[in-house]
Amino acid sequence: MNFCLVGLSHKTAPVEVRERLAIADEELPGTLRKVAALPGICEAFILSTCNRVEIFTRAGSDDGNMDAILAQFLARTRHRDLSEIEPYLYQYRQQDAIHHVFRVAASLDSMILGEPQILGQVKAAYAVAHATGTLKGALEEVLSRSFAVAKRIRTETGIASSAVSISYAAVELAKKIFGSLEDKHILLIGAGKMSELAAKHLLHSGASSIFVTNRSPERAQELASLLNGRAIRFEQLFEYAGQSDIIISSTGAPHYIIKKEDGRRLLAGRKNRPMFFIDIAVPRDIDPGINKLDNLYLYDIDDLQHVVDANLKERMREAQRGEEIARQEVAKLLRRLKTHDVVPTIIDLQSHMDEIRRQEIARLRSEFGELTPRQEEAIEALTKGLVNKIVHFPISHLKNLAQQPDGLKVVETVRKIFNLKD
Amino acid sequence: MNHLWLRVALALYSLGLLHAVLTVVKRRQRLFRIALGAISLGVVFHFVALVEDGLALRHFPVTSLQEAASLFAFLIACAFLLVYWRYQFHSISVFIFPLVFVLTLTAAMDSSTHYWELPLLRTAWLYLHVSLIILGHTAFFVTFVAGVMYLIQERELKSKKPRAFYYRLPPLDTIDDLAYKSLAVGFPFITLGIITGAFWANAVWGPSWPIDPKISWSFVTWLIYLLLLFTRWTAGWRGRKAAYFAIAGFAAMLITWGTNSGLHSFVSP
Repeated sequence: MNFCLVGLSHKTAPVEVRERLAIADEELPGTLRKVAALPGICEAFILSTCNRVEIFTRAGSDDGNMDAILAQFLARTRHRDLSEIEPYLYQYRQQDAIHHVFRVAASLDSMILGEPQILGQVKAAYAVAHATGTLKGALEEVLSRSFAVAKRIRTETGIASSAVSISYAAVELAKKIFGSLEDKHILLIGAGKMSELAAKHLLHSGASSIFVTNRSPERAQELASLLNGRAIRFEQLFEYAGQSDIIISSTGAPHYIIKKEDGRRLLAGRKNRPMFFIDIAVPRDIDPGINKLDNLYLYDIDDLQHVVDANLKERMREAQRGEEIARQEVAKLLRRLKTHDVVPTIIDLQSHMDEIRRQEIARLRSEFGELTPRQEEAIEALTKGLVNKIVHFPISHLKNLAQQPDGLKVVETVRKIFNLKD
Repeated sequence: MNHLWLRVALALYSLGLLHAVLTVVKRRQRLFRIALGAISLGVVFHFVALVEDGLALRHFPVTSLQEAASLFAFLIACAFLLVYWRYQFHSISVFIFPLVFVLTLTAAMDSSTHYWELPLLRTAWLYLHVSLIILGHTAFFVTFVAGVMYLIQERELKSKKPRAFYYRLPPLDTIDDLAYKSLAVGFPFITLGIITGAFWANAVWGPSWPIDPKISWSFVTWLIYLLLLFTRWTAGWRGRKAAYFAIAGFAAMLITWGTNSGLHSFVSP
């Protein structure tokens, strides 16, 4: 097991460097083949996204020089000087490399903690490497394990569960108030990028319809057809507000459009069914006093930002637990990989001994001629018992020693002693 | 009495209790599936224990405080499963399982069980009266818990600073729906419970039975819940006001439960 990972990410390199080193999709198979052709490399995997470029390999044997070779390769293949990119590179070996890949796939190393795209990118890169034929052993196992680890971290921690953008935060709040957004109506007052985005997300999350109004009827019409909604005249605002459960406002008005008194009246008209006001305008459109009324909830742009901040903090707390899971999983995988390493040796040892046994019996036959069935049986039993007794302790020691730090050296020794071919 | 099955149920409920504690500490956990299995199994064993008790006593086991506690715990645990099945949230266990555990523990302890051996109480009315009241109390307990959860979640949303509970509690609308449904289920039970109580008293003491404190308090409780149901229907009362009312109703219910003098003085050991 000789893993080595060399790369750079948004944490170590600015975008000017990352873009110069990024490997385009169509170049990926060729580059992978070149890496795999480097001396000593058995398997290769490359991950290249806008936030990171990483080469991950497994070598047959480790002379401690692999990271330098990979760094050199990365520089050469992107036509850069090694000295130019070296300050931005990080290197991981053995379990640190596995740990890093687990963290990357689980989005613990992402710019936005817990963002979901990275796992898809890792999977796509895996598919390319697999199709190119540069994955065929332990490295493949590490990568496919990383998908499971990412999934486990995602489901067992809240790392990806709360919104970290303003418009999604609005959707999440609406869901915390209404539960399901089905049969909920939206009223969009005014226009603006953010309010449009929030309305789109709300509709996408199941809200049933949207009314759009604007001081300019043409603009309202335009936006309504864009959102598959219905344009209404600005003067009719309050007629439709009463039917709406979610009101998004972002006009350029210098004063409040919806006052506390209006809120009270709206509530009375709808038997206290809750309403959610989202005020994205600056200066604000909706009287903050509305939030003091029962069953009315008002969030302005700052409030939404606070929710996003709180969610980010929550994600960071949850990430601590994600890190813990990643560490556990690395230990688990290492144990398995090490056992894998001894299994071929055990098989070789057994077949080697059996081979000797057969040869000796054959020699016996040629010397004494045909044996009686009883003699035949006795010789079989004797030699099998002998072989089993001889290999019993070496095998059980191999199994135990594999879990220990220098277990691989013991494997080497056993192979040498019994003269097992590689 | 042999409490073997009840103790098995208690051990299984303890996993529910653990889940409740972990819900406060951690946001997501793997334990829930195990806890859900344990709780369901606990409910089954609890049912077996109730049936066994009933067979041994040759009547429905609601004639001592311990038996009533056991039935109450059983019904609340059932209510938890029902809520989970209907609404798919389990953070309510925080409020439910401490009580289930304590009630089951009381029921499972070996103490000289006090039976109400008054022959005049041994009528079918008694079983009906007590069972209906316990059913109603179970539903109202859920209403109360929903009220508390609503107030917490509403405060989180109004304060605009989401903290731990914001992430763990279900949406307001879901909680409100649960409060309403449990109220609508509990009210007929309590009403019927009071009526059967009156019939029972009639059968025992004749038409001019006295009003004792427990009876007066139960009327106060009943009125609070009637008012809550009525305002919900007509004025669309919901949310915070309804939650406060549900909590007030529960407080009145606790007082009723604890007042055992006059006609009900036999309840206190």
